[in-house]
Amino acid sequence: MKILMVDKTKCTGCHQCELWCGTEIASVPKELYQAIHEEPHPVPRVYVEEKNFALQCRHCEEAPCIEACPNGTMRRDPETGLVYVNEPTCIACWMCVMVCPFGIINPSASMKVAIKCDRCRNMGYPICAEVCPTQAIKLEDRKDYHKKAFEVP
Amino acid sequence: MIVSVSVFHVRTRFRTETAFGIQAHDTQHGHGFYQEKEKIMRYVIIGGSAAAISAIEAIRSIEHESQIDLFSDEATPLFSRVLLPYYVAEELSKPLLSFRSADFFDQNRVTPHLGVRIQEISANSKTVQTEAGEQYPFDRLLLATGGKPIVPPIPGVDKEGISTLKTMADAERIYQFKGEKAVVIGAGSVGVETSISLKKRGMEVTLLEQLGHVLPTVFDEEAASIIQKRIQDLGIVTVTGEKAIQFTGNGYVKSVVTDSREIKCDMVVLAVGVKPAIELAQKAGIEIGSLGGIKVTLQMMTNLPDIYAAGDVTETYDLSRDSNWINAIWPCAVEQGRIAGLNMVDRKTFYEGSFRRNSIGNFIGVPAISMGLTHAETCSSCEGGEEFQEIKRRTKDTYKKLILKNGRLIGAILVGQTQKAGLFSILLKRKINVDEYIPILINKTLNFMDLLPLIRRNADQFKEAEYKEIMDTGL
Repeated sequence: MKILMVDKTKCTGCHQCELWCGTEIASVPKELYQAIHEEPHPVPRVYVEEKNFALQCRHCEEAPCIEACPNGTMRRDPETGLVYVNEPTCIACWMCVMVCPFGIINPSASMKVAIKCDRCRNMGYPICAEVCPTQAIKLEDRKDYHKKAFEVP
Repeated sequence: MIVSVSVFHVRTRFRTETAFGIQAHDTQHGHGFYQEKEKIMRYVIIGGSAAAISAIEAIRSIEHESQIDLFSDEATPLFSRVLLPYYVAEELSKPLLSFRSADFFDQNRVTPHLGVRIQEISANSKTVQTEAGEQYPFDRLLLATGGKPIVPPIPGVDKEGISTLKTMADAERIYQFKGEKAVVIGAGSVGVETSISLKKRGMEVTLLEQLGHVLPTVFDEEAASIIQKRIQDLGIVTVTGEKAIQFTGNGYVKSVVTDSREIKCDMVVLAVGVKPAIELAQKAGIEIGSLGGIKVTLQMMTNLPDIYAAGDVTETYDLSRDSNWINAIWPCAVEQGRIAGLNMVDRKTFYEGSFRRNSIGNFIGVPAISMGLTHAETCSSCEGGEEFQEIKRRTKDTYKKLILKNGRLIGAILVGQTQKAGLFSILLKRKINVDEYIPILINKTLNFMDLLPLIRRNADQFKEAEYKEIMDTGL
């Protein structure tokens, strides 16, 4: 199974991942200049924390956000095991924000829906890994961090 | 598949360490081994909400051959009770109240019996009986009967125009109520959300709470005062510290009389809380705990063999209180349903414990989250020699409070700024000593990486792959 690995020793804290996630995924125009001036401001799904660690959703084996969601908006893609927000049904109750052990689920700028990393499940490859100039963020095949939820039935 | 399931079943089971010491249960085997091999397990689930559905998902994550019969007294399947105020507010139509897709029962090979009430459980013959007298046998039974709304014994409470809000029928009744003036009794989560819903529908609403402030079990005075102001800004009259003592009206409710005033109204919603719906369990001889919920082991087993319970009907070990408590909230019901389901298919799994978690979403225009205990002194079971701390940080628009017991987080309140609230959830859940991290935790820039050294130090509490993949980085 594939894990989005982050190497603290390689991360320079350049925030490229945040910039691209915010532009490519979160913004409407998908263009940096316009994204910067977009209102409300697009919210990236990856957070550079402590100067040099890019953190995004870990797609937990037993995801507390799925368990806390009162209307099935937080879902696991049965094909890939990835956890995502089905935005049209989100009622902004912030139960997922309350239980995410990594603190990576946040309200959207409009405060209408919960925002989290879905590892760019509709794009084939995560943008943060694609743009990382030092390859601190890398999609790796790892058996040592096995999650049963990722087994394709 | 059938074979492997049956072989599991034949094994001597149920010697379990529980919160109440060692319990030994005997399973009854009326058949020989070879007959047993052919047998398809029959699961009966009573209840159709969070715990029940979660248990079904857990069972089906392990095996697909067994028979599952679900009985729910609700005719509408798979609707989320916590969304009923949104239905009353006309913000969500009925189909949008569902928390699983309409084909859930088909997909999971479940036979739903909707609008069917179970009248009796026979633990000896291992059958359940419906109100219509039909009997269904079970090998394993799950009681997920949830809670029932408390109807306070106030004179006149049986008048027309007065309703609780728990079932779909309640929601529809309230939706149909005619008139312009509403009184909501009880300012807990349901009461507050219902008040706002009715206000959105254009009614004049009075929210009446007998304790000193709104959301008394969810927030402390300071947090509640911020929220109460927001509720009042929405145009809702909040009356606290006053008790309803009578409902007047000739057949139909006309007013609510409190100890110091009379509030004219056309309708009343009772939102004074829920208690476990234990009648069925009690009749069957299932042990009820001192708090009034079904007593369960850490595997969600009742005192009777092959009968499990999960969700609002149970009392469970509360991590923030270090004692049993009834935490009738959605996430706990889902967690407990999963544990029950896994144990029902012989995947021995233990519940780590419950704790209260509440989030006031976009209802009042300011996010607010609260978990565990709201005050240090609310811990009733505390023994001597324990040290409690309350740490607060207040700005104009935000409020943050942490409650610690012997250096361990046992409660948190966040108003205005609620990002990263989940970090407190996990620290509370895993009982981590955070003594040295108080300045970091109370800081508004708190993030997960701040806590990484603490997580590494308590690595035995964070064994899941998702923590390891981060702990291993940069070493």
